[in-house]
Amino acid sequence: MKKFAKVLALVLALVMVFSFGCASAKTLTIGIAQFAEHPSLDNCREGFIAGLAEAGYVEGDNVKFVVHNAQADMGLTQQIAYQLAQECDMVCAIATPIAQAAVNACMDNGKPVIYTAVSDPVAAMLANAEGKSKLNVTGSCDLLPVEAQLKLIRSFMPDAKTIGILYTTSETNSESQLKLYESLAPQYGFEIVATGISTGADIPLAADSLIPKVHCLTNLTDNTVVSYLALIIDKANAAGKPVFGSEIEQVKNGCIASEGVEYIALGRQTGKMAAEVLAGAFAGDIPFYASEGGDMCYNPAVAAQLGIAIPEADLARGIDVTK
Amino acid sequence: MNVLIGILEEGLIYAILALGVLITYRVLDFPDLTVDSSFPLGAAVSAVLTVKGMNPLLTLVIAALAGGVAGLVTGIIHVKFKVRDLLSGIIVMTGLYSINLRIAGRANLPFFNMDTLFDNPFVDGFPAALRPWSKVIVVFVIVLAVKVLLDLFMNTKAGFLLRAVGDNRAVVTTLACDDGLVKIEGLVIANMLVALSGAVMAQKNRVFEISMGTGSMVFGLAAVIIGVNIFKNRQKVNSSTAAIVGSIIYKACVAIALSLGLMPQDLKLITAVLFLIILVLSGMKKKKVKFDA
Repeated sequence: MKKFAKVLALVLALVMVFSFGCASAKTLTIGIAQFAEHPSLDNCREGFIAGLAEAGYVEGDNVKFVVHNAQADMGLTQQIAYQLAQECDMVCAIATPIAQAAVNACMDNGKPVIYTAVSDPVAAMLANAEGKSKLNVTGSCDLLPVEAQLKLIRSFMPDAKTIGILYTTSETNSESQLKLYESLAPQYGFEIVATGISTGADIPLAADSLIPKVHCLTNLTDNTVVSYLALIIDKANAAGKPVFGSEIEQVKNGCIASEGVEYIALGRQTGKMAAEVLAGAFAGDIPFYASEGGDMCYNPAVAAQLGIAIPEADLARGIDVTK
Repeated sequence: MNVLIGILEEGLIYAILALGVLITYRVLDFPDLTVDSSFPLGAAVSAVLTVKGMNPLLTLVIAALAGGVAGLVTGIIHVKFKVRDLLSGIIVMTGLYSINLRIAGRANLPFFNMDTLFDNPFVDGFPAALRPWSKVIVVFVIVLAVKVLLDLFMNTKAGFLLRAVGDNRAVVTTLACDDGLVKIEGLVIANMLVALSGAVMAQKNRVFEISMGTGSMVFGLAAVIIGVNIFKNRQKVNSSTAAIVGSIIYKACVAIALSLGLMPQDLKLITAVLFLIILVLSGMKKKKVKFDA
């Protein structure tokens, strides 16, 4: 057993040495656990840090951030959540899977968890029907302003009847967003045609079969689909059909318009909630914050290319992403 | 100390999976990719039944049985339909993805407010000093039970036949036994263990997530290889202990990389380097250190 004992001792010694750096008594340590690398989630993180700073918790001054990214690896997600739950005074979890892991990891020690970029906190069991929790948990939700988006599509395309949606069957958020679209679309005279995929590799074929059946496409906040956005836009625009986005970054990248969530603002609001909790509030008593719809934005270059005239009213209220 | 608890919790749960991979990879010499889907299969079954109000311990048994069925299908495809080993695993892995989604009903099924294997009146009754270790203790008991049963089984006639199939198929055939059946049996047992591991993981994480199995085959292989290499010259340490230790060491490597505060994109590389260092160290020591076990 001696050799094994030596290897194990070496490994454990390394663990102990490296875990020291994180526990400090004077400044507060806030762990940020991000599920994947993705512009929206990055914006959430930046907004969160800015929101805390505005409330008086400034990095390097009285708080320290430990940021980890799980790169969408579920095993790593659990380990990061656990480690931050031990080392930090508060955990900020960005996106649903890591929010659930963080809540679970903090369940025993009662440290506060602040989540953001969770589309459906109730379905994810992070909040009860009233938006609160028995656990020391609160946060913000990035549920799409679906109704506003449907209105937007109607005003851009008065004659359109069908909207195509690509979604990943393994993303719970996409599923709940899709249900919302399906229930609201008839009120605006639309029919939703959805195609589910299981991995990014399925997207080319799925897009080829979906595009001929619909008048336009709209995006959910589906991580897999959004990563292949360039391909989808190419195929749709080649067929003369526009793609509506779910946030500003997508419109910059070639979607015609979006009525999406503004993630920096969402993160900032989440940071302010975190500050309330740091000041002594019990997180579970604060209902989660739902984004009320962000700023409308449009891409005139794409609209011109597709021969779609942007209505005057939308030109006036929206943001031109090419400027 | 807390980091250590985390490593032991994760390492021991994945150790059950490593024991499954040990059977297919080391004993049967069968690269079984079913693992990537039978792990979430166990989790899905356990999560759904827990949500329905079943005793968490009982869900583990049913999850293991479900895993056994997955192994059975892979075995039948390989042995009866003569499909290559790697492909049979891939076929079942692919199909199980949809079945897992059907079983769970959705891609992410949390059960935060239920009693779980690790959080129930019995565990709550542990003395206060043991509370931080309660999860480790529960998993340790399960791993120990699985290991003892597996070791006992490996020393029965059926266990000898199983080992013979991987080493020397001719022996099995001369003994007038069907080596195909023995192979199927091995796959069933292996996938039962993998699904059990997935079920325990779901109980700990309080959530089933469809993508939780991705990479579990690779993890299992790494754990088995690390463990077996460290104990290469120890006759008294059997391979099941080696696989369990390998799993814990792998998780410790990840924990070190995380504690170093490395950039996320470098994490896998660092884990690989630490993995390599362990392999090289254990290889070098072979020459210098005498047996002491």
